[in-house]
Amino acid sequence: MHGRVKLKSTAQQEEEKKKEREKKLKVYKAARDACFSKRKEGTMDVEALQLTQQLLSSNPDFATLWNYRREILLHQETVRAEEEVQKVYEEELSFLEGCLKVNPKSYGSWHHRGWVSSRIPGPTGAESWACATAAWRWTTETELQFTDRLIGSNFSNYSSWHYRSTLLPLLHPQAHERDPPSPSTHSHSVCEEQLLKEYELVQNAFFTDPNDQSAWFYYRWLLGRAEREEMISCVYVSREGERLIVAFSRPVNALSVGLLLVVDGQPLNVDWRSAHPRFRHSPVWICELPPGTISDSSNEHNLTVHWTQRHIHRDCALYTGRSESWCRDSATDQELFRSDLSVEKTSVLQSELQSCTQLLELEPQNKWCVLTIVLLMRALDPLGYERETLAHFETLKDVDSMRSSYYSDLCSKFMIENTILKMEYAEVRVFSLSGKKLTTLCHLDQLLLVTHINISSNQLQTLPPQFAMLQCLEVLEADDNVIESLYGLYHLPRLEEVSLKNNQISRISDLKPLTTCPKLTRLDLRGNPVTQTANLQSELAQLLPSVTDLLL
Amino acid sequence: MGTQVKDVVLKPDAPNTLLLDKHADYIAAYGSKKDDYEYTLSEYLRMSGIYWGLTVMDLMGQLHRMNREEITTFIRACQHECGGVSASIGHDPHLLYTLSAVQILSLYNDLSVIDVNKVVEYVKGLQQEDGSFAGDKWGEIDTRFSFCAVATLALLGKLDAINVDRAVEFVLSCMNFDGGFGCRPGSESHAGQIYCCTGFLSITGQLHQVNADLLGWWLCERQLPSGGLNGRPEKLPDVCYSWWVLASLKIIGRIHWIDKSKLRSFILACQDEETGGFADRPGDMVDPFHTLFGIAGLSLLGDEQIKAVNPVFCMPEDVLQRIGLHPEILN
Repeated sequence: MHGRVKLKSTAQQEEEKKKEREKKLKVYKAARDACFSKRKEGTMDVEALQLTQQLLSSNPDFATLWNYRREILLHQETVRAEEEVQKVYEEELSFLEGCLKVNPKSYGSWHHRGWVSSRIPGPTGAESWACATAAWRWTTETELQFTDRLIGSNFSNYSSWHYRSTLLPLLHPQAHERDPPSPSTHSHSVCEEQLLKEYELVQNAFFTDPNDQSAWFYYRWLLGRAEREEMISCVYVSREGERLIVAFSRPVNALSVGLLLVVDGQPLNVDWRSAHPRFRHSPVWICELPPGTISDSSNEHNLTVHWTQRHIHRDCALYTGRSESWCRDSATDQELFRSDLSVEKTSVLQSELQSCTQLLELEPQNKWCVLTIVLLMRALDPLGYERETLAHFETLKDVDSMRSSYYSDLCSKFMIENTILKMEYAEVRVFSLSGKKLTTLCHLDQLLLVTHINISSNQLQTLPPQFAMLQCLEVLEADDNVIESLYGLYHLPRLEEVSLKNNQISRISDLKPLTTCPKLTRLDLRGNPVTQTANLQSELAQLLPSVTDLLL
Repeated sequence: MGTQVKDVVLKPDAPNTLLLDKHADYIAAYGSKKDDYEYTLSEYLRMSGIYWGLTVMDLMGQLHRMNREEITTFIRACQHECGGVSASIGHDPHLLYTLSAVQILSLYNDLSVIDVNKVVEYVKGLQQEDGSFAGDKWGEIDTRFSFCAVATLALLGKLDAINVDRAVEFVLSCMNFDGGFGCRPGSESHAGQIYCCTGFLSITGQLHQVNADLLGWWLCERQLPSGGLNGRPEKLPDVCYSWWVLASLKIIGRIHWIDKSKLRSFILACQDEETGGFADRPGDMVDPFHTLFGIAGLSLLGDEQIKAVNPVFCMPEDVLQRIGLHPEILN
């Protein structure tokens, strides 16, 4: 029941209403029972059509009655002449129009309407196929013009913007795509020329009404349509433990994508596991090689990982005397976190940014505008605009406090992306991100090679299972957060030092994941509730025997 | 020209505490008014109505007040030769009511009431070449039915009876520019449909295919100044959308992106202090549907007077634990 206001009424009114309802109930039940018994007898006559019509007019969600009508209509097809059938179906459509006017949200009526249309005789065969193909482009263009008109009369029309998002990639696909996309392949790419026109249209919309969220949603879609190519982004190999790690550009299930490992020309049978047992799909997969395969450091080895389903492979050479090796694309090369924008577009984005900045001067509290400015700045120069971005996020949390956690998480994500970019430029394996008000961790698959991480003085509540992707990690500093759980400190083979000063670890059992890290020797738990536990020292000696340097 | 935000204003005297006893009394009495006109009009969805009532009673720890014998006998009578279950006696079988029946019998831990193998055959038979599911033999296609199919089979431990890969492909083809989902490819995003599709992807272990940050943004933007959530941009808030949006956010690990205490106030304001039950909006008529989604929403928001609800199946967590079902939830 939706939108039915409760009205106060007197006892007398109640009594009258009750009587009236009893009367209606009697009529309704009689009609329903008549329908059911007619159907049971297999009656397919006009009277049954009238009876069901009477019931459906007031209760169009009574699905079984639509079914009965379809049975009757199908029967009528067999006993009547073609013109008569046509007429029956036309009457059915006008009946439906009435139903939909009363109850426009009835799934049953809409489905029946589609069914009726499919029964009305029309051109068939090859002739209609040719027409349909020619008509397709014309229709799609007309449809796009239709959304132009709707948006022109009222920008605040989410349905129209949605419709454009489905039509544009069909009509104006990106040039490099070989096959024209069909609705079923659902490509989201739009050619550049059309993209520029769209920017203009949507800008008109939000300049007219800066608080209309429809236009802003659409604009964000236009800005960030980059879809990362599926690829093997990194292969890492370590003599110690004879481990090989593969990172993919997106989560996969290595057990089902056909991974093949070849070492020195020989295919090897290995067992792949994701970084954490919680992940069936993961960007990072690990395997142990058969003992002795690469352990002798005086030998050189060539390893290749084949992703057979995609016909992709990546090589990695492990040279004499080296204890580890990797092969990958650096994040800077891929412009990982930016939209896929050409140089020409950069100037366009610059002018978009100018327009939005102008709008912000008129509407300093407009969150949509502020957020869009942040996105444009990231598309243009994420590091250069870092300070301004942070300031804008403070504004967002202020003017839209209901969604402050969203903005905090988004800001955390951007700060992590920036730090990854900086690390790439510096070509180091140290990741430092302390005091950035981080509320969440992400992109951890990008930190596969990191040996030292400092995430102290943030607002983190957990080290999530994804943290287990930091397979080279040796030192973790995570002081002064509000960390309660350590799920992600799981099977980190090189982890030696963990500092968790001033966090919210409260039970010994919260430390259990650490038992899977064999090299852990130093653990700092000062300032955690767990340090109040009785017999903590001896309990931990039992739980984590490898830890020799324990600070409580 | 400025967009007027469609919303409601909570009155200062609106209910602000949870009236559990009243809600339990309301639901317990609902089924006894069988000769009521409104009740008879809703016969076409009776099986789902029973699921709403039983689930909300279980969440409130009051399941024992419902007439188990009468309900299981009714369900048995609603299973058809084809294996599907209808909303009521005399009505035609449909996936919607097949799921409701299986959910009810899972609550009661009594699946032997119906022929489970036939249910599996029925669901299997409704899968189309493109992976989608028809709701019944008349062929209406909708991602809601994809959810019904996998939820039914998962509860029966028979997910492998269908072509899961194809089913996933179809649901993904309904993903939109805003990260949301519609009922068919190209259809506009809608919170109810998003719930079905994220639930579907959770059950099939494919949540990594969702653009959780983008979808989460769209979902958290459903919260209006009143604290209530709407189902699409520029629509009014509604308790049932509060559930569809909130459950979807929970499934994709972004429930903290909305203001929980404001939503709680909105849901509480939708209670009827006289009759018990929840309405779609403050001051409207109550019904069992909104009563379930009000209570389930409060459970997801962490209300400790209510049992924990599973966001994917909208059933008590303890029931799913018993069955051994752990649908995927993003962290």
